[in-house]
Amino acid sequence: MATTSLERELKRGSAEILILALLEERQRHGYEIGRLIADRSRGAINFHVASLYPTLYRLEDRRLIEGRWVEKAGQRRRRYYRLTREGRAVLARQRGIWDSFFIALDRVARIRHA
Amino acid sequence: MPDIDWRAAVRAAFGGRTPDDDVVEELAQHAATAYEAARAEGVEPDDALADVARQIDRWAADPVVASRRPRRPPAVAPPPASAPPFASTMQDAKYALRLMRHQPAHTVVVAATMALGIAATTLLGSVAYGVLMKPLPWADAPRLVRLYETRQGSTKRFRPMMTNGTYRAWREGARTLDALAAWDVRQVALTDRPGTGRITVSDVTPSLFPMLAAGPALGHGFAPGDEEPGRPPIAILSYGLWQQQFGGRNDAIGARIRLDTTTYTVVGVMPASFAFPDRETRAWLPFYIEPPTTPGRGGMSISMFQALGRVRPGATPAQAAAEGTALGRAATPSVPMAKVVATAVFGSDGPVDVTVVPLLEALTSDVRPALLILLAAVLLLLTVATANVASLQLARATARRRELALRSALGAGRGRLVRQTLVESLVLGLVAGAAGLVLAALMHRLLPLLLPTNFPRLDDIAFDWRVLGFALLVSIAAGLGCGLLPALHIARTDIAPALGEDALAPVGGGLRARTARARAAILAAQMAMACVLLIGAVLLVRSFVDLMGAELGYDPSNVLTARVILTDGEYSPPQRLAVLDNILQRLSATPGVTHVAYSNSLPFVGGEALSSFPLKRRDGSTIQVQAGVQGVSSDYFAAIGQRVVEGRGFVPDDASRDVPVAIVNREFSRKYLGGQALGWTLPGASKHGDSGPERPIVGVVDDTVRRSVTDTPQPEIYGTTRRSGGEGAGQVADSDINLVVRTSRNPRELVPVLRNVVQSAAPAAPLESVMTMDDRVAGSLANPRLYAVVLATFAGFALVIAAVGLFGVLSYTVTLRRREIGVRSALGATGRDIVLLVARQSLAIVAAGIVAGLLASAWATRLLGTLLYGVTSHDALSFLAVAGMLFAAAVIATIVPARRAARVEPAKVLRG
Repeated sequence: MATTSLERELKRGSAEILILALLEERQRHGYEIGRLIADRSRGAINFHVASLYPTLYRLEDRRLIEGRWVEKAGQRRRRYYRLTREGRAVLARQRGIWDSFFIALDRVARIRHA
Repeated sequence: MPDIDWRAAVRAAFGGRTPDDDVVEELAQHAATAYEAARAEGVEPDDALADVARQIDRWAADPVVASRRPRRPPAVAPPPASAPPFASTMQDAKYALRLMRHQPAHTVVVAATMALGIAATTLLGSVAYGVLMKPLPWADAPRLVRLYETRQGSTKRFRPMMTNGTYRAWREGARTLDALAAWDVRQVALTDRPGTGRITVSDVTPSLFPMLAAGPALGHGFAPGDEEPGRPPIAILSYGLWQQQFGGRNDAIGARIRLDTTTYTVVGVMPASFAFPDRETRAWLPFYIEPPTTPGRGGMSISMFQALGRVRPGATPAQAAAEGTALGRAATPSVPMAKVVATAVFGSDGPVDVTVVPLLEALTSDVRPALLILLAAVLLLLTVATANVASLQLARATARRRELALRSALGAGRGRLVRQTLVESLVLGLVAGAAGLVLAALMHRLLPLLLPTNFPRLDDIAFDWRVLGFALLVSIAAGLGCGLLPALHIARTDIAPALGEDALAPVGGGLRARTARARAAILAAQMAMACVLLIGAVLLVRSFVDLMGAELGYDPSNVLTARVILTDGEYSPPQRLAVLDNILQRLSATPGVTHVAYSNSLPFVGGEALSSFPLKRRDGSTIQVQAGVQGVSSDYFAAIGQRVVEGRGFVPDDASRDVPVAIVNREFSRKYLGGQALGWTLPGASKHGDSGPERPIVGVVDDTVRRSVTDTPQPEIYGTTRRSGGEGAGQVADSDINLVVRTSRNPRELVPVLRNVVQSAAPAAPLESVMTMDDRVAGSLANPRLYAVVLATFAGFALVIAAVGLFGVLSYTVTLRRREIGVRSALGATGRDIVLLVARQSLAIVAAGIVAGLLASAWATRLLGTLLYGVTSHDALSFLAVAGMLFAAAVIATIVPARRAARVEPAKVLRG
């Protein structure tokens, strides 16, 4: 189907932006990010937790987020990710594209249901 | 619970490609947490383990994870940073515009509907403001009042005017008014400038311009006393006439201009902006209001004209009316002639009654009720259009639940989403408003074509900043109006369930959901409003049709009419007769002409003459009659198509008899002679106190309507020109003669012939007002037609919008309910069942709308009262017809979505 590759691109883009947006609020660890995406979107975006770490690492390599180990009393050691300055800039820029993405998503949905 | 070494599990999954320790640690932590969470949710240990194992496998399969190189930032505590303000309203607006660009079809439909509503509202608003509300351009305009005089028991054959006796008495004794002025409009020929035709001039009292605080642009105005008899004739020109005749030169002042038979000296030029009483008036002449009786001279003179007053600050029109009535009664001359004159003019010699009406109200009283009704109608139309957009937006808001939920998941608060929806609607409203404004501006330029030329204050209908402001307000109101429901909907929506549910396929969508109920209510309201508009339109259209088919008393088809002016200066009365005979002869010899005649007045033309005289009746009693008097040539009744119901019409011989004969209409016969006029005799026409020969009544003709098709018949007497014997023989006293040509083919084809004939018979005589009788009748119905057309247009739009709205929402609902419909089909529902399922929903809405609409109409149509003719405001047939029309529209709007629903393939839907 012609829409498949488009959808894949959209999904990847949406996952990245989604993560940046989630980290905008405060720093979070991987499991929490995965839970948030899964809980809040309940599959609305077909974002698999499997691609969470590759995405996180890619974002970190691009210096949009940075992870660091945090130890808190009575808890597991966790790697927390937070948004870098560049990450914030990219998020702001992407928001515009993000809006378009929702529009595009609507269209994709319609094509699929037509 | 077995103690699982997650690190080992992760390492094992990567096999030989050992990733960075950091990664192993992170993934192991994740795996441990995921496993514990699954267990906490009650997942069996084996299942939880299998799930997490699959997870680890997938991580391991990803090269990005496997080739991860470490970077070790220092460990710090997480600061719970709060989110920055998400975005400004500007961003919302940009988003809205982008959204609109991406959904062109939806945007165009929605914006076009609203644009249409806004355009119509703006246009009508500008007309209503310009005509009804805009202050008149005169100084102290709110204090200006029209003064009307009538008599108790008047037959109201004339529009109310003022007479000289009351005017003069009031002018001397006014306490409630600080100024009085009078004017009278007439047509004159620019005699020394051939080829210019006739122009409209106003005789005005010198008090008029100072009252209006209007001064000439050039020269000077009239001084008190300028109007007195014996003063040299002077004139003030309009700016246009000055430009046309004097090229705008200053030497126009002092120049001479000949109007009809009098030469006037030009003393002033009014500024271009000055128009009184309207733009038609090209020059103003001093107007002398003569006294009704002159000491030492018998008889009395009555003149009728228009009068204007300015109430003193603090005085009310009612006080002024009481004063005018008292002064008018005191001034009524006691000569016997006064009663006769009053009866001739008013149909009654009862005491004087004066009414005082604010000028603005007087100017617009004819159109005010209709304009207000149309304004209400257009607001209703705008509401229908806005409601339509609201329901489309609401439907879309539901479809966009996931988007909105995601935005919410990204940190957008509910208030922000509501704001965004409102901003979206507002942007839509403004875009539609801009389009509507352009449309309104275009329509505004067509207004002169749409509005009858006698529509009041046409010049005051402007497309100015007020209109722009009004359009802006309307757009904002419409935008917010249509955004409010979706916004409320969002405000109430619980985000998490919205993300959870498959918003595209709720089962049992029907009318159960709150938004669905809201949409149904909107649709029903739209139907109700369309119903009210349609019923109003049907009533007005039926009235108009009845007006067109009203009994006129003559046959206006295939009749060409024109006015030829044989001025006093150029034609003596016997010369007029000769010229007219010549014209009649040549016209009757023209192929296609069946009858030709002339008359001193015509229906819808004016120039009515009234007389009053004592009539002795068959029972010996005497009655003072009031009747219209019309002088006609012998073939007049045949030419105009007026039926002779008793006796005979005029014959050529009547012109050469010694004894004049008269024909009366049925109303005269009924009102004054008990229906037995034929064979009775009218007293001789009196002139200067001498009686002419008595006139036997030789025929009775049908009653005719003269000024409006809704007129009640009035008594009329017809006489014919005579060539020999008696006074007035061989004379045609009036300078304006109406020609009536009945044809056997399209009367318009005879216009060139008519012009030629008149041109050769009377080379200098202007020929005016060449029109078919049909056009004259139609012209008199211009306003009712306008109202009917405009309301019908609004109603048509409302119907289409409501039907489109119904169609849109039904289609959308069908899409939403595909899964439900699929399930029903799978469970054995037939196509017919599915169609009924959709139709039931549609018809429930429509039925509710129609019932509400009929009830509302029963109340609203009473407002149409004075605009209706031949049909009552509660006409059952109209109500039924509209209900049927709405039902039919609803069926059409339902068919397509219903059929589409019936074609839903269960297998396809359920698998998807």
